[in-house]
Amino acid sequence: MKAKHIELVVNEKAYDMTVAVNRTLLEVLREDLNLTGTKFSCEDGECGACTVLLDGKVVRSCLTLAVDVRGRKVTTIDGLSQNGELHPLQAAFIEHGAIQCGFCTPGMILSAKALLDRHPHPTEEEVRTAIDGNICRCTGYTRIVKAILVASQKIPMVS
Amino acid sequence: MCSYSVVGKGISRVDVMEKATGAAQYTFDIRLPGMLYGKVLRSPYAHARIVHIDTSRAEHLKGVKALICGRDIPPRGLFHLGDQTLLATDKVRFVGEPVAAVAATDRDTADEALDLIEVDYEELPPLFDPEEAMAEGALLIHEKLGEYHRLMPWLHPIPGTNICHLTKLRRGDVEAGFREAYRVYENRFTTSMVQHCSLEPHVAVAAVGATGDITLYASTQSPFLVRERLSHVFQIPISKMRVIVPYVGGGFGAKSAVTTVEPIAVGLALKAQAPVKLQLDRSEEFTSTVVRHPTVINLKTGVSRDGKLLASKAKVIWDTGAYADDGPFVARWGGLTASGPYQIENVWNDSCCVYTNKAVAGAFRGFGCSQITWAHESQMDIIARDLGIDPLEIRLKNAVEEGATAAWGEKLHSVGLKASLRAAAEAIGWGKKLPPGTGMGIACMHKFTVALMSSAMVKVNDDGRVEVFKGSIEMGQGNNTIVTQIASEVIGVPVEQISVPEIDTRFSPYNGGTFGSRDTFMVGNAVRLAAEDARRQLLKAAAEMLKVPFEELRCEGGRVFSSENPAEGVYLAEIAYYSNASPAGPIIGKSGYSLKGIPFRGIPLDPETGQSERPAACWTYAAQAAEVTVDKDTGTVRILKLVAAHDVGRAINPTNCEQQIEGALVMGIGTTLYEELGLDAGRIVNPSFADYKVPRASDVPELVPIIIEAPHRDGPFGAKGVGEPGLAPTAAAIGNAICATTSVRLKDLPITPEKIFSEMKEREA
Ligand code: FES
Ligand code: FES
Repeated sequence: MKAKHIELVVNEKAYDMTVAVNRTLLEVLREDLNLTGTKFSCEDGECGACTVLLDGKVVRSCLTLAVDVRGRKVTTIDGLSQNGELHPLQAAFIEHGAIQCGFCTPGMILSAKALLDRHPHPTEEEVRTAIDGNICRCTGYTRIVKAILVASQKIPMVS
Repeated sequence: MCSYSVVGKGISRVDVMEKATGAAQYTFDIRLPGMLYGKVLRSPYAHARIVHIDTSRAEHLKGVKALICGRDIPPRGLFHLGDQTLLATDKVRFVGEPVAAVAATDRDTADEALDLIEVDYEELPPLFDPEEAMAEGALLIHEKLGEYHRLMPWLHPIPGTNICHLTKLRRGDVEAGFREAYRVYENRFTTSMVQHCSLEPHVAVAAVGATGDITLYASTQSPFLVRERLSHVFQIPISKMRVIVPYVGGGFGAKSAVTTVEPIAVGLALKAQAPVKLQLDRSEEFTSTVVRHPTVINLKTGVSRDGKLLASKAKVIWDTGAYADDGPFVARWGGLTASGPYQIENVWNDSCCVYTNKAVAGAFRGFGCSQITWAHESQMDIIARDLGIDPLEIRLKNAVEEGATAAWGEKLHSVGLKASLRAAAEAIGWGKKLPPGTGMGIACMHKFTVALMSSAMVKVNDDGRVEVFKGSIEMGQGNNTIVTQIASEVIGVPVEQISVPEIDTRFSPYNGGTFGSRDTFMVGNAVRLAAEDARRQLLKAAAEMLKVPFEELRCEGGRVFSSENPAEGVYLAEIAYYSNASPAGPIIGKSGYSLKGIPFRGIPLDPETGQSERPAACWTYAAQAAEVTVDKDTGTVRILKLVAAHDVGRAINPTNCEQQIEGALVMGIGTTLYEELGLDAGRIVNPSFADYKVPRASDVPELVPIIIEAPHRDGPFGAKGVGEPGLAPTAAAIGNAICATTSVRLKDLPITPEKIFSEMKEREA
């Protein structure tokens, strides 16, 4: 298999690497960079467990080729808390009981982050739509939606 | 009521920090040095004889390190009935059955190797319909049914048929009850084949040590069962078979038995003499792992004019697919409970577990209770409507209560059924006037809690931290939090000072398995007793250290002190340090738990009548109510509100109980309205999340979980489990609400818009 040289930034750390052209971003994150916070459950674009942010936008890392993200910025769950401080979404997920088995959590939090970054004060319906691509089989979603709304309320209103 | 400091509080779960940051490790994340990747070749036929397997080309592929097929494996049975080996030997019995497996240096090579294995099959006529499979003269799926080794003496296969188990329940004189009845109702209900869809797939990593000992990481609910079965299959002593279970990313029953994944991983690792990871992909999850039993449930109910249930007869057929797996257990419990949580003098049930050439059905959250409840609660609604009695009233009139005798002969205790019914009715506004097009439905249930046995160990470390060792799995249900609260309450240490290590059969005490809603009750009791033991040891050592009588000492906030003079005290760390040097040794509390005077599997059922004084650890009860609208032009159902009142005995952690109920309700919505594995000649046609719809965030209505507490005298602090019941009454509550607004009564799950629409059209015509 042909390999290519790429540079990319993951969680604000720069990497220089050679990857086979058929490998997905998911594989490179989990296997080469040992960032196992990102999960996968279908490798088919349907469950959202592999969600990461690419330049701030939601992507399914199982459907994204690593060579296609050359030169771009990737955010995964492993890099979300800063200096031991939880991201407000992580804190809200904990506080509002939005985590059960935790397997959907990384993808769920990143989908929520992308939403709040572009739209800090969404309605409940907008929250539900934003996470519709993320399956959770444990929680029934109610507490996840609540956690996202609470986190959004902590973001100051800009007038 | 006495008050507790931690029990009864909705504290935040103990494992959420790791899970929120992505640091939590699952079997899925395990990688060992030199690890190979396993892949499984599966049967394309529903029923065929294996004539020949040629593996030579695959074996010579570069990168292939091991290949196994039926002729290489130990011929010993995997599970209860001994009807299944880890790979097919002479026959395949369902599409998706493992036929051969390879381990290679990478996944692509393993895939390529599968393509190079040539299997000659001779197709046999398949059986897909369980009723046909039960008919006299039907071809046999297991010709040697009578010869299989039965792990449980009560298993009741009928040789020369496709019936792998039959449970009978007989009480009173059902025919006399029907004769006496004002009316008799006969209806047939069915349920679909559905999938658990845990987000973490089935996965196992096996490694062989220098002395032939095996270490297995597995995403399983039952590490001790897996250990015992693998040790049997591979004839390895139990002490050389080590099973480690990190966090499990959802189980819902699919991981509660030994599956083919763990033994195939071990078989490959033994052959390759290298670590092997075997992880199923999503389509294999859909096509090769256990499913929820499709059922056919025929109910006949005799009722007095005022709605008193006089006689109930149920013939339940559990379509268990190609192998028995947990099917006989499901059928057994279904056979006991099929007449519902009602006081009925005359009951007759036959609960039959039947082989077909389909995916294997096994444990699924609810363990048969969901299917049974769908039937008896739809039936109750049919009766209420026909007699013109309010559906809530007819249930209250017949509901079991404290001291009532169940159909299986047990005198019931801790029965929060009527309270659940009233609470659910109140929360939904039962009886209020509804806008046109809107309807309400109610349903209730009873569910057993499996007993078995559990044990626990509570250790106080030199830094004063307390570790709770137990054999139950944390799979998202919150068990680590529950045992933390129990230990904290008993010993008198803050929850922050307690940790719960992952399960490792080398250190963790035995547990029957994380299923059947049993861990809060059984493991909870073992932890309670072990913590009491640890506390006793702490006080004893402190008494020596402080020279204060034992009786005068108290432990609070992680410190033992004299109740006379609280300033005089020692911290747990100091006691642990002292104790290490004393003849008493380290502070390690321990205990086992099973029900007093009762065999650990419960009192066996009488084989002819199903009667038993106490077949289960306890029973839980619930009632749910739904408010729905139905679009008259499309048949589309919109659920406006779902309320669920569950008797949990006592809530150790109310938030955790609510979380379990909410999650189950949403699973209940899916299995009621759309979840169904479609089959074409035995092949599952929708093996993906694109084609098998599970509920998404925008499908979820307002959910109202309500906790009812009818404490159980044997439960830890009175608690009972609540993991499974949450989706059992949901289908009937929704179905009854649909009927209330459309007059359409659907008896087959799932209730799709097409079915509603065509029924509505038929009624118009
Ligand atoms: S794993 Fe990428 S969407 Fe499911
Ligand atoms: S918490 Fe288990 S899948 Fe969401």
